[in-house]
Amino acid sequence: MVRVTSNPDGFERLIAEDPKLVFTLTSYALILTTYMNLNTIKSAGLGIALFILYFTINGAFLAHAFFENEGRFFRLIFGVLLTIMLLGFVGWLIMVVYNLDVPEFSFVLFIVSTICSLTNKRMKDKNAT
Amino acid sequence: MPHKESGLQLIRVSEILYLALTALSFYLLFISRSGEAHTVWQVLHPAFIPAIFASTSLLVMILLTSEKTAYKLLFVIILSILLHSFFPIVFPAGDLSGQQSILGRIRLVFDNTVLHGLTGWPNRNIQVFIYQLFIGANLQAALSVTLARMLCIDIFYVHLFFIPVLWGTFVPVAAFLVTKAIGGSERASALSGLLISVFPYTTYFGAISVPNSLGFIFFFYSLCFTLRYLSSNGSKNVQWTLVFSLFSFLSHYLTGIMSFSLLLLATAARTYQNEKKYALTSARILLIVSFIISVSLLPLSFIYLRVLGTSIMPVFTLDNISELSIQEIVSLSLFGELAYSSNLRIIFLNISGPLLAFLWMLYLLFRLRRKLEVRFRTQVYFLFAVFLIMLIDYWVLKLFMEGLPINEERLWVFRDFIAVPFVGLAVYAASASLEGLSKQKLKSIEPSNLERPFKSHKLHFSSLLLASNALFPALLGGWMTFSLSAAYPQVAPLQTTWYELEAVKYIEQVTQEKYVVIGDQWTTYAGQVIVGESNPGAYYFGVNDKIGHELFVNMSRDPSPRWMFSAMNQTDAQVAYFVITEPRLGTDAFNTIVASVKEPLQLFYKSENGKLCVYSYSGSNQT
Repeated sequence: MVRVTSNPDGFERLIAEDPKLVFTLTSYALILTTYMNLNTIKSAGLGIALFILYFTINGAFLAHAFFENEGRFFRLIFGVLLTIMLLGFVGWLIMVVYNLDVPEFSFVLFIVSTICSLTNKRMKDKNAT
Repeated sequence: MPHKESGLQLIRVSEILYLALTALSFYLLFISRSGEAHTVWQVLHPAFIPAIFASTSLLVMILLTSEKTAYKLLFVIILSILLHSFFPIVFPAGDLSGQQSILGRIRLVFDNTVLHGLTGWPNRNIQVFIYQLFIGANLQAALSVTLARMLCIDIFYVHLFFIPVLWGTFVPVAAFLVTKAIGGSERASALSGLLISVFPYTTYFGAISVPNSLGFIFFFYSLCFTLRYLSSNGSKNVQWTLVFSLFSFLSHYLTGIMSFSLLLLATAARTYQNEKKYALTSARILLIVSFIISVSLLPLSFIYLRVLGTSIMPVFTLDNISELSIQEIVSLSLFGELAYSSNLRIIFLNISGPLLAFLWMLYLLFRLRRKLEVRFRTQVYFLFAVFLIMLIDYWVLKLFMEGLPINEERLWVFRDFIAVPFVGLAVYAASASLEGLSKQKLKSIEPSNLERPFKSHKLHFSSLLLASNALFPALLGGWMTFSLSAAYPQVAPLQTTWYELEAVKYIEQVTQEKYVVIGDQWTTYAGQVIVGESNPGAYYFGVNDKIGHELFVNMSRDPSPRWMFSAMNQTDAQVAYFVITEPRLGTDAFNTIVASVKEPLQLFYKSENGKLCVYSYSGSNQT
């Protein structure tokens, strides 16, 4: 059971703990919704909402993994910046190999989500030992 | 306690007022949007500048309070995004410059017109392919396309706001972190985050979506982690410096090379710190050699471009310097291209920030010499060395090299990044002295300390209080607002107009076949932001394409189908269009062409205001 908290610090910690991979799976669900949005719904409003959620989850993963000792605001900034960088890098690789059409773009999001989740898990385990 | 509470209330009121003023500024900027303008200054709402001035001054006041740093930075970010969004908000297609060409290339990736990014598979040699792979606009293309698809918004809008939003968000934070890394207080560092906007070059580069701007952002973060690396023993900071340097390099080789030269110098500085106790001479030699290599890395990297087999041919030469007088050499070295400007105000606004930073840097170095153990000594020396590297590189590129693929003036952005923490420290020191003086005065007007008449003391105290709380923020607000006039051009060609955009959109919507458009370079700019650069299905001749230019000149002199037919043959198109615009050609030339167009050319589209005409010619017309 995932507990919802109104404290931003607590919410960030909750995402980073990723109990039963809930947030990783949420991130995958967001990718699927983004894919459907691009193909059928085509709503910018929905796109913006998905964008914010995707960056919140994956930014929190990365921020918690690498910048745990920074203040909350700086964790947020670094988390978002790293997610952008990772998206750019993976997107660049996929684009150079083939192109960035909707399926390839969804694949980019999937790879980035997986990397963020694994990094978070690895750092969590490292800190625990 | 009540005193503290009332202080907190005052801060909250200032914050609400600031947010209201910033929202008003955004609104005023939006209603200044114009479909036909040369510069932003031509069309800005008269209340916009006073609103910006008021909100900036108010923000300075907030930054000098005890408010939480996160809130302060959030307010700075909001204002920073506003200050960098003039072009995309006011003009219908952003600034008429290289950013439109970049958008034209990225559009091809977005529309899946090309495969393998903007590079294409190697068609000449493998070196050129690798070169293009790493230093093109590929990273920006990948990022813009990914974000556009995520948001489900056309690449046109995402590209225009891409750098202004990214720069507005991340550069003030980087300025804050760099100032902190050289020992600045939270308030001084937050001030630095805001004061980055007093540097016109940085404001301009933060307002245009080009790969170089993206590279500057990563460069600033690599600088931040380099400074952290100098003060800590962990390897984590050096790894982050490497990561940001790599991204800086992927974005643009200029920023990448500079990031790596910083890393080299920082490594040498760390080695010097560790080894100076045992082998001072060899440590010093290592430091000097590293400095020389760091300086030479950028000029030499341009020469290596030739080895890669690119068409760019930079060379070292004495031609430039031999053609200049001593006076010109000195003024070029100090002011760059500004030396040719006759506008003293622009010159002053461009050099005031760096000059203040340089003086404060010298003051700090002088102070550090007298104190043996100072915590941030290495970082200040390091930044001074980097400042010198930028200056020397500028001189080498400007005076001793030719055929460079970039404009040397871009190096001033690096200088400004180095300068901003020192400006923040200097400004904060001035503000703290004023505050200290008023406190001292307050003590002196206590009845026990009164020697002079009470009224005279009160007057002194009031004037100091006014200076520290109102005049000082107003002065800084004024400086920042004034700097905008140097950041955004005062003179420019007519920007892409709404009717040019409408025309190219109409052509794209209506035409089913492959088509080619003969037009001037301004039409090409408009065309490529909608259909992409050199799109084989919707072809606009490049901005610098000689054939396209000749075809347009010939069509303007003699609007006959043979030029249209020639364009169709060259591009394998089934339809050709000829676009003329009245403000670009002049009324007389425009009317002459309109009058001389005859069958089989047909009027295909005329803009609502009658300032633009599109004529069409297809293969079927000919038969």
